[in-house]
Amino acid sequence: MEPTENIAVQTASVDQKKVVIDIRGLRKSFGENHVLNGFNMRLYEGENLVVMGKSGSGKSVMIKCLVGLMQPDSGYIEVLGKEIKTLDRETLDVLRSDIGFLFQGSALYDSMTVRENLEFPLRRHKEKIGQTGSTESRVLEALENVGLAHTVDLMPEELSGGMKRRIALARTIILKPKIILYDEPTSGLDPITSKEIIELMRSIQKKYRTSALIITHDVDCARVVSERMILLVDGTNYAEGTYLQLSSSEDPKVEAFFKK
Amino acid sequence: MAQTVQATKNIKQFLGETGELSYFAGRFFKEFLKPPFELKELLRQCYQLGNRSLVLVLFTGFIIGLVLTLQSRPTLIQFGAVSMMPNMVGISIVREIGPVITALICAGRIASGIGAELGSMRVTEQIDAMEVSGTNPFKYLVVTRILAATLMLPILVVFGDLVALYGSALVENLKGNVSFQLYFNTVFDALSYGDLVPATIKSFFFGFVIGLVGCFKGYYSKKGTAGVGIAANTAVVVASLLVFLVDFIAVFVSDIFYEL
Amino acid sequence: MAKTTLENLKLGIFVILGTVLLLVAAYLIGNRQNMFGETIPISAVFKNANGLQNGNNVRFSGINVGTVNKIEMVNDTTIRVHMIIAEKMQQHIKKDAVAMIGSDGLVGSMLINIVPGKGNVTTIGPGDELRSLSKVATQDMLSTLNVTNENAALLTEDLLKVSRSLTTGNGTLGLLLNDTEMADNLRQTLINLKNTSEQANAAILELNEIVRKVNFEESTAGILLNDSVSALKMRNIITHLETSSIAIESTAKNLNAVVAEIQQGDGAINTLITDTVLASQLKNTMRNVDQGVERFNENMEALKHNFLTRGYFKKQEKEREKEERKAQKERQ
Repeated sequence: MEPTENIAVQTASVDQKKVVIDIRGLRKSFGENHVLNGFNMRLYEGENLVVMGKSGSGKSVMIKCLVGLMQPDSGYIEVLGKEIKTLDRETLDVLRSDIGFLFQGSALYDSMTVRENLEFPLRRHKEKIGQTGSTESRVLEALENVGLAHTVDLMPEELSGGMKRRIALARTIILKPKIILYDEPTSGLDPITSKEIIELMRSIQKKYRTSALIITHDVDCARVVSERMILLVDGTNYAEGTYLQLSSSEDPKVEAFFKK
Repeated sequence: MAQTVQATKNIKQFLGETGELSYFAGRFFKEFLKPPFELKELLRQCYQLGNRSLVLVLFTGFIIGLVLTLQSRPTLIQFGAVSMMPNMVGISIVREIGPVITALICAGRIASGIGAELGSMRVTEQIDAMEVSGTNPFKYLVVTRILAATLMLPILVVFGDLVALYGSALVENLKGNVSFQLYFNTVFDALSYGDLVPATIKSFFFGFVIGLVGCFKGYYSKKGTAGVGIAANTAVVVASLLVFLVDFIAVFVSDIFYEL
Repeated sequence: MAKTTLENLKLGIFVILGTVLLLVAAYLIGNRQNMFGETIPISAVFKNANGLQNGNNVRFSGINVGTVNKIEMVNDTTIRVHMIIAEKMQQHIKKDAVAMIGSDGLVGSMLINIVPGKGNVTTIGPGDELRSLSKVATQDMLSTLNVTNENAALLTEDLLKVSRSLTTGNGTLGLLLNDTEMADNLRQTLINLKNTSEQANAAILELNEIVRKVNFEESTAGILLNDSVSALKMRNIITHLETSSIAIESTAKNLNAVVAEIQQGDGAINTLITDTVLASQLKNTMRNVDQGVERFNENMEALKHNFLTRGYFKKQEKEREKEERKAQKERQ
């Protein structure tokens, strides 16, 4: 079972690029349920990688293992040249400041205003602000990036789902991370809002030159954002390639993803 | 047979839960001593748990004092000992009823509040979001809340005791023509440090278990909205039970110290 | 930020107010126990602490002046109670003042009452020992009553035995009882004895009742004894109890003596039986015999007039008349 080999990696330039995330043989199970069963993945610098899979296929588990929110049962994870497992809390926090994480349900802190939400990651990473900038300017800059500067003193409950997602995105980029992990960025949103979010993701990537790992089961999102895709089936990377390659595949399991 | 299996399972679950709770408490002490200290959040929680519970505690305390006095009157009159009312009510409120009623009210309000809040934060990945943005959520959410509950409860008990005594004095004043001055003189005459000190120390522990259980249940809440409800519910139940358990132990211990 | 400042302000007020209230309460409690302010230590020696505890009040002429701070067992009959009293009260307490252990009201806690002495002596100083006065403990009184009660019970048993043997007619007295006149005398004595024993019984019952009640409300009684207001009342009751117990005891002693004498078969009653009573009894019997003879004569006379016997007597008369007539005829 080596489907990865069947579909050649087309983007030749990728090989010369720096690897920012390297996952090898990742395994994780919850009791009898083997969610990840030897997953391999590489994310290259400046690349948009989409990992697609059905719900419960272990995409979220994989991404959480990446930032140390979950401990894998076995496997090697290296992010920005550091092996996650070996890091102590301090270094992990420093590393995490280089990784943006957009959570599935936005995960805005309900008890805080938009401003406090955005300030929150800056509390522990003051060094990221730099000499010239201030917290306030950073907050406003991030909000302007998502076009919601006017909501700065509102509470999350006063915002719509799409706005929340955009605020969450602003919070994700406020530390100017090198990698952004998107966990289902368009889930629970209507198609128009989804499109807006996708546009935002693209513009942000252009602006800050981040690498992005996008986890989704939304084909439209994958089509627009992805430069490369990995299909996650049965806890392992079943197929890999560009959107065009995969969508034209005749493998029944791959086809199943792109059926409308 | 099936019953035995179920019983064994329940006992195992109970012991497991006790162990986890103890571990959680241990983690609290470990993290509590380590910087950085989330002072701002602590103050916010103190306000949330202390000031916000005050009206409820005042109301209940007043009613308890009123009712206790009204209910005891006929019996004391029968024995011709109605002049002992301040002594009786004073000692029972300061020693037992004040702290326990306040703790139970707080178990209902604070433990469920914390349980629901942390539970929903867990479910909506806000705790994960905190973790990846470099803030230790245990420190930020759990330590501050447990500490706030521990510090605020004794103060709430003082207020509760005071209004309960006031309620009692009011009844005596209206029905028994006892002046407030005489009433409170008698109360303080009857009281000793042996009544006040153990009750105050006990209140700290009440606050601690309320905060601990609320945080524990919320922090390890199961996924989904049902998980939040269960977290809030079991937090109240377990916190109330532990309040009685602590009370029992406290009576034992203070008996040892004050019987010498 | 304004919101947070306001919250912190409120929190500050809340915490400070709570702490101040707690401290005020602590101060008030401490103040009552004379923990603050200048105090001097004094002591007094008692035989019985009567449940006195550390922290109990010390009163001088009914005013709280201090607290008990240590109770020390010196030896098996001596207890030294250390007190601290307010220094400002020192000038009023003289060296001849008397300390007593009392209680605060009916169900109140124990306390030490210092009663001013009569003499004109110097005031007490730090470390002085006051004279003490131990009131008669209720418990002692009750145990005396109990002993009396037991004695009375034994006595009634004896009396019952005596009366039973008397009624069944055994023994000297029983035999004597079968004699007519002397029986009256003895019966009267016996009735008196019975009355006495009944009264004794009733008294014992009453005593039992009292003792039971007193025991039941032992604490109440004990406290009453020491309470200044109700003391007189209770003391009267106790005095009555004492006198009645003494009376019962003496009655019991007397009765015991009587019974003992009866059983031994000598003494006043026996002498009476052998001498005077028997003599008069014999005299009476003689008189009765005399009277019987006289009455027989009377009866005989009455019979003459009876209608049943009238015919017989008339016949006799007719026979006599016939004989007389015959005799007259013969003479004629």
